[in-house]
Amino acid sequence: MAEDLVLDTAIRDWVLVPLSVVMVLIGVLRYFVSKLMRSHQAPDLKVVKEGQVILRARNLRAASGFIPAKSFRSRKTYFTNEENGLLHVPKGQSQNAQAQMFSDPNLAMDMMKKNLSMIIPQTLTFAWVNFFFSGFVAAKIPFPLTQRFRGMLQNGIDLSTVDVSYVSSRSWYFLNLFGLRGLFSLILGEENAMDDTQRMMQMSGFGFDPSRSLSAEKDGIDIIQHDWALPKMEKRAEDALKKLLK
Amino acid sequence: MVRAEEAARLDRLESQVENGGGGAEEYLCLVRKLKARRSDKVLKHGLSILNDPKARSKLGGEEWTLYEQVAFAAMDCQQHDVAKDCIAILSKEFPGSTRVGRLEGLLLEAKGAWAEAEKAYERLLEDNPLDQLIHKRMVAIAKAQGDLSAAVNLLNKYLEIFMADHDAWRELAEIYMSLQMYKQAAFCYEELILSQPTVPPYHLAYAEVLYTIGGLENLQTAKKYYASTITLTGGKNTRALYGVCLCSIAINQLTKGRNKEEKEGSNLQSLAAEALQRDYKERAPKKLPLVISMLKNMKLNS
Repeated sequence: MAEDLVLDTAIRDWVLVPLSVVMVLIGVLRYFVSKLMRSHQAPDLKVVKEGQVILRARNLRAASGFIPAKSFRSRKTYFTNEENGLLHVPKGQSQNAQAQMFSDPNLAMDMMKKNLSMIIPQTLTFAWVNFFFSGFVAAKIPFPLTQRFRGMLQNGIDLSTVDVSYVSSRSWYFLNLFGLRGLFSLILGEENAMDDTQRMMQMSGFGFDPSRSLSAEKDGIDIIQHDWALPKMEKRAEDALKKLLK
Repeated sequence: MVRAEEAARLDRLESQVENGGGGAEEYLCLVRKLKARRSDKVLKHGLSILNDPKARSKLGGEEWTLYEQVAFAAMDCQQHDVAKDCIAILSKEFPGSTRVGRLEGLLLEAKGAWAEAEKAYERLLEDNPLDQLIHKRMVAIAKAQGDLSAAVNLLNKYLEIFMADHDAWRELAEIYMSLQMYKQAAFCYEELILSQPTVPPYHLAYAEVLYTIGGLENLQTAKKYYASTITLTGGKNTRALYGVCLCSIAINQLTKGRNKEEKEGSNLQSLAAEALQRDYKERAPKKLPLVISMLKNMKLNS
């Protein structure tokens, strides 16, 4: 049945706006707390060196066409040499990266802190929303949805005949959760626009795993065929000069 | 590399500030961002801001960055007392800071006290072994003392760790060139080309090194790199045009005995010669006869 429900404007004043404001404030608070709690991790020599090696290897792959074949070959051996090449990681070491990451107390603490700072406010806000703002229709979504979304969006409303476009405040909470990233980037400056979705994605990847990227770069360099771009340059220079002289 | 529009803005701000209009803070900010080296102006205007308590309090947190900037400028202009005052104020505010320690080391360097400066930097390096700027200062000390081989050693050790730092590669290339170690300089320029393949000066420098080393293969490669410089600069680089002509002559001299078919080469060479003549006609018409006679000689010899 598609009759139109008229929603009280008081809902907007007392539910939607306060919920958004609270979420923005919590995000800002979390940002400042994380800044306070951030422990200064002294960069490790090995990590820095590996980062730089990867950068250099990437440059080599990208611009290999610009240096003579001999130089390219010598650099290739330098990087991928089986005995002491920079990118060569002996098999035994590559498995240890994750174990190392757990055993290293600093890294583990850092990860835990980051996870906690995200999970706790989320849980609290969600519980608060459920407690105070459940059991009524909060908003109408402007486009029609299928019946599948009913369970997710209408959890407090126990009438099965209400159109799925009418959602509860829980869905408003989720909308804000994913959508406030733009607002945070305006308020907190460009680099701090991290919101929960990005943090969640970061949680699943276990941070910097150097040996994997090293072997990836090594394979990349091994594959590359040296295509010297310079001979074509002579022709192109001729054309450029011809154009200039015309 | 400073973009043209930002350089123009910098000049505009500079003339505005010089002529009494406001905007000194903006000018100093831009100088800081672009890392331009205008020490006398920075010193003058920076000091005028810092000595005025009202303007200083308006800066807020930027005050300390301005102190650092003025200290640098003062050292550059050999005004060591001014620098010393600035550093004293900074170290009172940030005791034990590496950044201030670096400034103190710089002051010792500026005064010429190399040994003490080295000791100061080594102490800082014990706490922060991965501080790039301090490593570079050690290299600068060695270079200033004229000990180029020590500078080369230090730079090599630095580059073993921070091998993606292309400024360091550039510095190493220049030192190698001054030491006439051309093969090593060529290696450094290759690194630079790898990291920034579309920057013409590196192609030009690499071509010049190859031309200097000599030998047929190197000359041919050098000619190709001169050609790529021409392509990247649209034919406006006079040095590259000369380079192409000279390379062609040298190659022809080396291959006089054998009948190589450098037909394509002569096309490029004649085009380059023509472009050179036109360039001189537009910009330095008095020297044009010299150029024409030189090119004629070259064609005769080839």
